[in-house]
Amino acid sequence: MEPIIEMVGVEKDYASGPVVVRALIDAHITVNEGEFVAIVGPSGSGKSTLMNIIGCLDRPSRGTYRLAGYDVGSRSNNARAVLRNRLIGFVFQGFNLLPRTTALENVELPLVYRGQRAKHRRAHARAVLAQVGLADRVDHTPNQLSGGQQQRVAIARALVTDPPLLLADEPTGNLDTRTSDEILALLQRLNRERSLTIVLVTHESDVALCASRVITMRDGHVRSDVRQSSPRDAGEAAARAQSEPEPTSARPGGE
Amino acid sequence: MLQSIVSAFQLAARAVRRNKLRALLTILGILIGVAAVVLVSALGSGAREDINQKVSSLGSNVLVVFFQPNQASGARKSQGSSLTEDDGRALVRESTSIAKVAPVLRAGSQLVYETRNWSTQVFGSTSDYFQVRAWNVVRGELWPDTPRDFSEKVAVIGASVATELFGSLDPIGRTIRIGRYPFRVIGVLEKKGQSPFMGQDQDDLVVIPLASFRKNISANNLVGSVDQLLVSATSEETVSRAEVQVDAILRQRHHIQDNSDPDFVIRTQSDLRETQDSIYAALSTLLLSVGLVSLGVGGIGIMNIMLVSVAERTREIGIRMAIGAKEGDILVQFLVEAVILAMIGGLGGTVLGVIAIAILRRVLEWPMTVQPGPLIVALATSMIIGVVFGFFPARRAARMDPIQALGRE
Ligand SMILES: Nc1ncnc2c1ncn2[C@@H]1O[C@H](COP(=O)(O)OP(=O)(O)OP(=O)(O)O)[C@@H](O)[C@H]1O
Ligand SMILES: [Mg+2]
Repeated sequence: MEPIIEMVGVEKDYASGPVVVRALIDAHITVNEGEFVAIVGPSGSGKSTLMNIIGCLDRPSRGTYRLAGYDVGSRSNNARAVLRNRLIGFVFQGFNLLPRTTALENVELPLVYRGQRAKHRRAHARAVLAQVGLADRVDHTPNQLSGGQQQRVAIARALVTDPPLLLADEPTGNLDTRTSDEILALLQRLNRERSLTIVLVTHESDVALCASRVITMRDGHVRSDVRQSSPRDAGEAAARAQSEPEPTSARPGGE
Repeated sequence: MLQSIVSAFQLAARAVRRNKLRALLTILGILIGVAAVVLVSALGSGAREDINQKVSSLGSNVLVVFFQPNQASGARKSQGSSLTEDDGRALVRESTSIAKVAPVLRAGSQLVYETRNWSTQVFGSTSDYFQVRAWNVVRGELWPDTPRDFSEKVAVIGASVATELFGSLDPIGRTIRIGRYPFRVIGVLEKKGQSPFMGQDQDDLVVIPLASFRKNISANNLVGSVDQLLVSATSEETVSRAEVQVDAILRQRHHIQDNSDPDFVIRTQSDLRETQDSIYAALSTLLLSVGLVSLGVGGIGIMNIMLVSVAERTREIGIRMAIGAKEGDILVQFLVEAVILAMIGGLGGTVLGVIAIAILRRVLEWPMTVQPGPLIVALATSMIIGVVFGFFPARRAARMDPIQALGRE
């Protein structure tokens, strides 16, 4: 297995006024292709800071970080934008879809920045939306979609460039348990079938249990890093919930 | 790159459409500015054409010598003009650049034909008057060249006088009264339109023989004294030489030193042209400054609204950056939006300007011509304004930190 993420002594300081906040301290993390990693820890422990560096949105203050062999720390803003576009798909807690823009157009967006032609973009975006089960919602705008559907659109947008790495910062934070399980099941399937590497931040132990590896953060340090031999199968849980009576059947555009 | 510019256009067009009212208010300044600039250019080119046309209607080789009392002749002022018919003859004789001189007396007078009245300018001159002004009759004839003191009571009338007094009747052979005396109309002059100077109607006049004017219109005139000498140079090129010679000959005849004021003024067509040019220039400058100020205000309006737009769409910018938009992509997106706003303003202003031109031309009869050059310049200007004033907000958007823009989660 090739390592996709290699961090050696990575640190991140934030200067807030005269005080320096050490948000990330001496992180040594290696993630191989095809892993499903959950990052957990209390609020303010540096999870998002770590994700921002992994996602090439930020540069480490010290240490070296290689993403698929590229040394990110030495790269310019534009070069990192290209790395993000080529190698990473992002999924956020708040979905972060463009408002008043259809699902299809949202999913097309990363391909726009690859300079692809509209026709090709559209066909590709449609195909990926179908894979996440939204073939019949392509022309809906985010406010016409449920939370779970919006997150599926976001996942489709992250996958449309066929990246090796998917980063998700609390992707289920805004969703109910059942919808969370559906989203997690989708992520597990992608991880299994495409050997997509996934790094996911979460507060919920249920969510963390779905990963094959759990990294625990505290006060900027990596506290523990454990592999789980038998992750929870979210698909099974979702299927079980499906057979039970529906509590809120009047969800807008329900599945 | 082409792809991203095309999609930047689609995006920007959508952003503008979403905020129609805001877009409209934003582009108002540019709209007014461009309309003003279009108006100015139409006024300018129209005026130039108009002046050329009118100057040639007067005869581009014509000089007019007026009597103008100076200090020395002040005492003689009450006795009337010091220009004489003899001065005119001397000019023809002594100058090498003068073809003809027509002595002119003029007075305002009332014309009467049957029950109709019309007050107009009466000119007394020789038949050279028509040659100097290169003016022919469309009906009837002129009086004969000789004798010099031809004093029949005959009149050649301008086209406007003909319409006012006779309507659709044929004036030739009919008798009108000028002041107290009956005159027979022998000719009607061809139409010349407005004069280049202050836009008087050049066709509102009656011309009668000089001797007849003296006898019947203003008998108290000094013998041989005239109000003006109408001079034609041998060609357009010799006008300035003729002017110098007229000045020298008349100074000598009037005993005026080179260093003191003469008792006459010489006007050439280029003087008239300059006068009118300066009037149009003043008007153009005024409109142009209004245009430039509102273009500036419009530019600032665009900058302001683009800053608002960038602030409102911070999260969108963050999302775009996270999924791979480079700084240049964001810059182009907002720049194109600003340019589209400015161009809509420019197009609207051009349309408004062209409509205003059509109205002014019809209602005020301002001479104006619409030319494609200025329209293109107006559009290009508004595009440049979009780029210049859109750059700062666009750069602010492009320089955002994606993490901050996404909002800390
Ligand atoms: N831009 C910044 N400027 C200053 N301090 C920052 C900045 N970003 C993060 N921090 C600080 O760094 C520390 C780690 O923040 P981070 O957002 O990584 O925590 P987190 O583990 O994601 O917390 P949560 O679970 O609440 O999202 C915190 O103490 C935070 O206040
Ligand atoms: Mg966080």
